[in-house]
Amino acid sequence: MYLKTLTLFGFGQFHDRTFNLERGLNVLVGPNEAGKSTLTQFITAILFGFPTKKHPELRYEPLDGSRFGGAITFVQDATQYQVTRVDGPRGGTVTLRNLTLDLELPASQLAKLLAPVDAQLFQNVYALNEMRLGQVFQASKQDLTTHLQHVGAVGSDDWLVQAKRLDQRAEEAYKPQGRKPLLNDLLRQHQDLQAKLDKANTAYQTYWQLLQDQATAKHRQAALREQLATHRQTVTHWTQLQQQWPTFQRWQALGTAQQQPTTGFTQADATELERLQNQLTASQATAKTNQSRLKDLQAHAQLPALFQQYLKVSEQVDPLFDQVPAVTAQAQERTRLMATVQELTQRSTAIEQQVANANGQMPRPFSLATTQELKQQQADLQLANQKRRRLQQELNRLNDQYQQAQPTRQQRNPLADKQLGWLAAGLLVLVGAMFLPGTLFKLVGAALGIAVGYYGVFIVDGETPASRELQGLTADIRDVQAQLREGGQRIDALTNRIDAIGEAHGLDHLPHEQWFGAQAAIGEWERLTQQLQATHTQLTALQATLDQFQQAVTAVLPQLAGQSVTSQTTQLRQLQTTQQRLVAQNGELAGLTDRIQQDHTAVARAQQAVRTFLQTRNVADTAAFYQRYQQIQNQDNVTAQRQALATQLGTTLADLQALPDQATLDQHVTTAQQAQQTTQQQLDATTTQLATLSGQLEHLTASGTQTALRQRLANLETQMRTVTQGWLTDRLTSRWISATLVAASGDRLPRIVDQASEYYAQLTENRYTKLELTSETLRVQRADGTWLPVGQLSRGTAEQLDLAMKLAFAVVMQAQAAMPLVIDDGLVNFDARRRQAAYALLLTLSQHLQIILLTADPVAAQAAAGKYVVRLTTQEGD
Amino acid sequence: MKFIHAADLHLDSPFLGLTTLPAALLTRVRQSTFTAATKIFDRAIAEHVDFVLLAGDLFDRAEQSVAAQAYLFNQFERLRQAGIPVFVSFGNHDYATDQHQTIAYPDNVQVFGADVTTKTLTLASGETVAVSGFSYPQRWVVTDPLPAFPEHAAADWHVGLLHGAVATGGTHDHYAPFTVAEMLTKRYDYWALGHIHQRQLLHQNPPILYAGNPQGRSSQETGERGAYLVTSHGRQLVPEFFPTADLLWDTATVPLTVTTLADLGTALTEWLTAHPADQSTLTQLTGKLTHPFTPEDQAAWRTTDWLSLYQRTHRSTLATAQRYLTRLTLRLPQATVAAPALDQRYWDQGAAQTFTPATVQTLFGKLAQEPALADWLATEGTPEKLRALATEQLQDLMNQEAPDVP
Repeated sequence: MYLKTLTLFGFGQFHDRTFNLERGLNVLVGPNEAGKSTLTQFITAILFGFPTKKHPELRYEPLDGSRFGGAITFVQDATQYQVTRVDGPRGGTVTLRNLTLDLELPASQLAKLLAPVDAQLFQNVYALNEMRLGQVFQASKQDLTTHLQHVGAVGSDDWLVQAKRLDQRAEEAYKPQGRKPLLNDLLRQHQDLQAKLDKANTAYQTYWQLLQDQATAKHRQAALREQLATHRQTVTHWTQLQQQWPTFQRWQALGTAQQQPTTGFTQADATELERLQNQLTASQATAKTNQSRLKDLQAHAQLPALFQQYLKVSEQVDPLFDQVPAVTAQAQERTRLMATVQELTQRSTAIEQQVANANGQMPRPFSLATTQELKQQQADLQLANQKRRRLQQELNRLNDQYQQAQPTRQQRNPLADKQLGWLAAGLLVLVGAMFLPGTLFKLVGAALGIAVGYYGVFIVDGETPASRELQGLTADIRDVQAQLREGGQRIDALTNRIDAIGEAHGLDHLPHEQWFGAQAAIGEWERLTQQLQATHTQLTALQATLDQFQQAVTAVLPQLAGQSVTSQTTQLRQLQTTQQRLVAQNGELAGLTDRIQQDHTAVARAQQAVRTFLQTRNVADTAAFYQRYQQIQNQDNVTAQRQALATQLGTTLADLQALPDQATLDQHVTTAQQAQQTTQQQLDATTTQLATLSGQLEHLTASGTQTALRQRLANLETQMRTVTQGWLTDRLTSRWISATLVAASGDRLPRIVDQASEYYAQLTENRYTKLELTSETLRVQRADGTWLPVGQLSRGTAEQLDLAMKLAFAVVMQAQAAMPLVIDDGLVNFDARRRQAAYALLLTLSQHLQIILLTADPVAAQAAAGKYVVRLTTQEGD
Repeated sequence: MKFIHAADLHLDSPFLGLTTLPAALLTRVRQSTFTAATKIFDRAIAEHVDFVLLAGDLFDRAEQSVAAQAYLFNQFERLRQAGIPVFVSFGNHDYATDQHQTIAYPDNVQVFGADVTTKTLTLASGETVAVSGFSYPQRWVVTDPLPAFPEHAAADWHVGLLHGAVATGGTHDHYAPFTVAEMLTKRYDYWALGHIHQRQLLHQNPPILYAGNPQGRSSQETGERGAYLVTSHGRQLVPEFFPTADLLWDTATVPLTVTTLADLGTALTEWLTAHPADQSTLTQLTGKLTHPFTPEDQAAWRTTDWLSLYQRTHRSTLATAQRYLTRLTLRLPQATVAAPALDQRYWDQGAAQTFTPATVQTLFGKLAQEPALADWLATEGTPEKLRALATEQLQDLMNQEAPDVP
């Protein structure tokens, strides 16, 4: 690549100025301030951009106010390009044109066209001036390598950019001194988290401490429990004793009663005494009864007044006693008979009332013959009556027939009257026959009646015709009427006869019909009258006997006079009883006296037995015995009770006995209770402590803080590792790229050094023959073989070395970067000969390179004879 | 005779390699070490085992976890009530210090001391069992403990309890280095080992085996986790594995032919549907891309937490598959780094210079003071691994559009 024209619109002291350049060596000669450095800066600025406004001295803005900027036409790969740069943002506004094809190119294409040379490389390698040449003293292999890398391989720029990006990314991930990068942040987080975890881990110590405490507390709890159990037992023991103290006291109290050795006061003894006593009482009672009986008997000895009187006339009365039963019987008989009389009287009176006639005379009874006669007559009467009735009927019938038969009385039938008359007659006969006594009569009468009737009806009827009939009838009627009259006479006769009989017997006041009935009553009445008669006789006899007895009684016992027989007999009987009792009493008294005697003996014996009984037991009386007995009984009870109490107290008795008093016991109880209470409190405290510990432990265990933090930390570390890995990979990749680029350019370095050695020898007229690039710096070999470090070289010689190196670099790397070499007053410190040598070298190299030499040295123009020379004047800049 | 052999309970230790988790899952994660351990003790009680052997690392002493201690007290008490003795030897994480010896575990628990001792037990059946073991007195035990173990005792059964690692002969034998051959000379009936979290059988008869941990705690501890129920068959002890893990870990590689994030979501859902887990599983996925994403999606992938978004929007899919995705890494097909005009040898030269421990250490600087990061550097930050990561990075860079040079 070479620059063809430089067009300065306005730059430094130049405005609207164009420089045409050649392919080979171009020498621009001018004095100081002619604008040599300005031109160098122009080339740099147009190709790589204006410096920022922070460095105005480097910008070379036009002083006259013409347009800042300019254009450069350059040829690369046979193509002509024009780059125009005017003032604008970010290094100025660039316009790039492909002049060969007359094509507008994007501004970004410029860097690619110039690659791999950039502003830095251009300034460091291709734009030489005195000052920069002096930098050789700082030149190191690394610098050189960097330069080499820059141009070392085609496309290495890409890699360098990538490496730079990786480095940038790596810096975003981590910077050893930074705070902001990700890993730094993570490390800080890690630190915080670790601190938290450490804090949480203190829980571990606490946990063990708590466990320790728990174990201790559990141990204590167990011990206290045991202790408490003992205390409880003690308390129970003492409390039990306390509870039993009253019992014990009772037991004690019972124990103080004196035990008296006694016999004979047993239950059996008491029973024996009881028996004896009973015996005595019984004996006494018997005696008493007998006594009272005796008294009774004596009291009874006082007799009634009547008996006193009796005693006087006992001989006369005694026979009366014998009569008393008979008299009594008689009296009773009399009473009975009187009753009979009364009854009979009543009955006869009744009959009299029934049967007797008006003047009270009783009818006479019929004799047998009379009876039969009467009966006969009555039967006849009946028959007669019956006959008459039949005849009457016959008559009536005949009359009716007759009535009918009679034409006048027309309707009247004489025959019917006749018949009616017959009928009435028959009827009359019939009826009259009924009144006839005797059945035969009645039958005959009845038959007659019937016959009459029959005749009236059938015979009369049999007359023919009506007159005959009437005649018949009339005859019949007369016949029947005759019969009737006859019948009536007979009836009257019979009735008269009967009435005669009744009158003869006084029965006339009675109807005939009752006559036969009255016959029986009359018979009865007669019998009663006879009986009454007989009874009266008896009664009279009895009365006589009784009267006789009464007289006898009244005679001996006037007191009884006027009294009834019954009363008398009663009193007599009493007398007799009294008399008989008196006889018996005499015997009883004697027996009773004996018995009383016996009773007294028995009582005395019983008393003796009791006394003996009491004496043997050495007691005054029964009461004393019972007292003693009671005492002993009580004592036994006490003993039993005591035994029961002792049993109740059981084993505690001994303990209780061991105690002096209740106060001591109470003291014991209190002490034991206090001990128990204290232990209980301690146990409670321990239990509470355990609960607290358990809670704390649980809290610690369950918190999960540690685990969570640990996992977070692990996750954070993973993240850190990931970031670190990324960071380290980026860094290493970047380094790798660099190292590879170094390696790739590494084989050019010896060539550059060889080339530089050659040039250096030429420049130093073979005073120095060889260059060597060490890892630290460059060293040179003098012709005499001495190696000198760069630092020992003179200023000029050092500048020559730098020039040699840069020329060598430009030449060797030409294939990759064909950039013009711009030398701005770079040779001022060279002596004349070496400057000549330099010019000669440049001239030689210009066959391959475009070299723009800006110098104040007119000799340079001579050296470059035939080459393109521009003379710059100070005036021209105006 | 019947007993349970478990080890490395690591109670209340956090899950590693997670960044964020849903609250519900977080709670489960937090409880998982306890849940898994409880399954062991439940089984012990259910099976009426004669005793339980715990071969170290019951908890992490450095963690100072109250929860772990309280849990052990509770569970040991549970076993005590069930009449089950427990033999405990402490390992490198729960190494015995006399710091808290004042609080003893319930009396059914026998803790081995720093020296190898033998404890004997007479079972209900009348059989006698001798258990030999020791506890780590500090974090490291560098000497081979086996010479201290006695020969088979006069007991019917002799069981060795050991927390340690097989000797490698190197300088890293900090964990009671032993050899199987030595163990066999003791003629024990069973060796209950702890320390290695992946269960493994070192010897068939007599069984010498690691029970593994009952709950995996990082993506390195994948698969079923549990303990062993050991039963006597005649004169032989037969271990039978039983799973206990509440949450499983899984890693999987998913081939992806997608070029957009939308398609990635679909592909992921398809994969999840096709690969359901048997139980809740924390899954770490690596997506093997055949082609790079479109530039926009690449940018979106880099700048957003796409996976979180996916998990939030595909809850039911994840729930059905019983998977929670802890990480999704995308990998492009392996290719040599071929930067324009830069020879592979230059890259190799550059790598040789860059990926050296010294360079890494220098770069790491004072980050090494952070234990977690120092650990990471020691394990994950080896130059080789870092180079691999950087290579991916470069590939990623090369696949990007060439940046616009300003």
